[in-house]
Amino acid sequence: MRQLFQNLKEYKAYLGYAPKSILKTEVADTYLNWLWWFLEPLLFMLVYTFIAGFIFSKKVEYFPIFVFIGLNCWNFFDRSIKRGVTLVKYYKGIFSKIYVPKYIMLLVQMFVEGIKIAISYLLVIIMMFIYKVPLTWHILEALPLFILLFILSFGGASIMLHFGVFIKDLANIVTVILRLFFYLSGIFYDIGANKTIANNALYSTILLRVNPIAMIMDGLRNCLLYGQSPDWLAVGIWTVLGVLLCAFGVHLIHKYESGYIKIS
Amino acid sequence: MEDAIIIKDLHISYRTVQAASIFKALFKKEKKVKKFDAIKGISLTIKKGQIVGLIGKNGSGKSTLLRAVANIFKADAGTIDTCGNTVQLMSIGVGFQNDLSGRENIYLSGMLLGYTKEYINEQLDNIIEFSELGDFIDQPVRTYSSGMYSKLAFSITSTLESDIILVDEVLSVGDVNFRKKSYARLKEMINQEDKTVLIVSHNSNTIRELCSHAVWLNDGILKMTGEVNEVVDAYEDFMSKETEKKRLQKEAAKKK
Repeated sequence: MRQLFQNLKEYKAYLGYAPKSILKTEVADTYLNWLWWFLEPLLFMLVYTFIAGFIFSKKVEYFPIFVFIGLNCWNFFDRSIKRGVTLVKYYKGIFSKIYVPKYIMLLVQMFVEGIKIAISYLLVIIMMFIYKVPLTWHILEALPLFILLFILSFGGASIMLHFGVFIKDLANIVTVILRLFFYLSGIFYDIGANKTIANNALYSTILLRVNPIAMIMDGLRNCLLYGQSPDWLAVGIWTVLGVLLCAFGVHLIHKYESGYIKIS
Repeated sequence: MEDAIIIKDLHISYRTVQAASIFKALFKKEKKVKKFDAIKGISLTIKKGQIVGLIGKNGSGKSTLLRAVANIFKADAGTIDTCGNTVQLMSIGVGFQNDLSGRENIYLSGMLLGYTKEYINEQLDNIIEFSELGDFIDQPVRTYSSGMYSKLAFSITSTLESDIILVDEVLSVGDVNFRKKSYARLKEMINQEDKTVLIVSHNSNTIRELCSHAVWLNDGILKMTGEVNEVVDAYEDFMSKETEKKRLQKEAAKKK
């Protein structure tokens, strides 16, 4: 763990500069340039509002924001994990030429996603004004939830990074598993309000507490939209587990990373 | 004199097909692993301030050794101790983003190599001047010709400093003039007293001119080490004998 912080300090400059430059290249040569950073989430929001509102016609309060909060939360986790699995292959050019702790590049990618998500949540706040969501001090409780989301994503992705080097088709399997979790996490529906699930205590605990992403999503919606506190016990437990995941992932990478490039 | 690099009984092998499908990983306990030994037990000590040339035919493990010293490859057995010195493998264009300008890539590449923003700021003018790119420095790198690209890359790696410099055939860069200039820069770099340098090159003349000592690797084994002219002479003698042997074998095969 000490080595992790030492490395973070050493590559601080790069971690600050590289995500910005990646974001810049993504919009370079488009007509609207950096406006895309706002337009893209906005358009996606419209798409999901349309699909969810007209096709599913759900009666959840502030439904478009409800979907958008969940979706962004999910996207961050999903993309971090997927990036992790293919990271060594993706950065082979760099890794075969110089030594960089592998998770530094993972963090760069996660920061890129993080900045995108931050912009999306700015839109959430704007939407909250438009939909006249009552503002409460519970909004501040979203911050620890974001931190937990980051910890869990980094932990999961760093472990995937390690195994992704040794197992070729891990990416395919991870995609399927993530899709399953996507539907289990209640992005388009309220897990708590679904009668079949809510009436069965076992289901609802498993879906809301054992699946950390659903738990975070639920917490975010509660504190941003409905003026309620998240489930702090579950948040606490998952934070401890998340830190352990990170420690395990970082340990794996430190131990085996100099062998990665010989294999792929 | 102080030691800069201590290598003890180093073994490195590549496993070409080790990444397996999940079914193989789970159900087949015996894995078919093609193992290729690139380095088979090398022990070597390099003193501080020495300029050492690595020679040997293709596939003899020169580049592998260099990468192991740079901590890119793991040793399967044995140890490499760089005695607390910073090590840099001079490689061309690491971490470049083609859509960004040359100037931004200087920062990107420099920071990836572990330098601070302040240090790069100090060196920025130096790098741009040496690269001869002029106004092109603010154009995206993807618009560069391959010559310009490698000029910029060489300028970056040769300006940023470290205690131990590893050079892997980076001397053929750009046009004739730039090549002369980069050769002179390299010479200037490696002639500083406290720098330890390891150079891989196929060109024996380059090695003779730049290096004080040489190490000859053959099929992953240390064949000879010592003063540069002695080793290169022996190597050239060996290589011409090899070619002669091959020629004779071919002729014999033809006759049959």
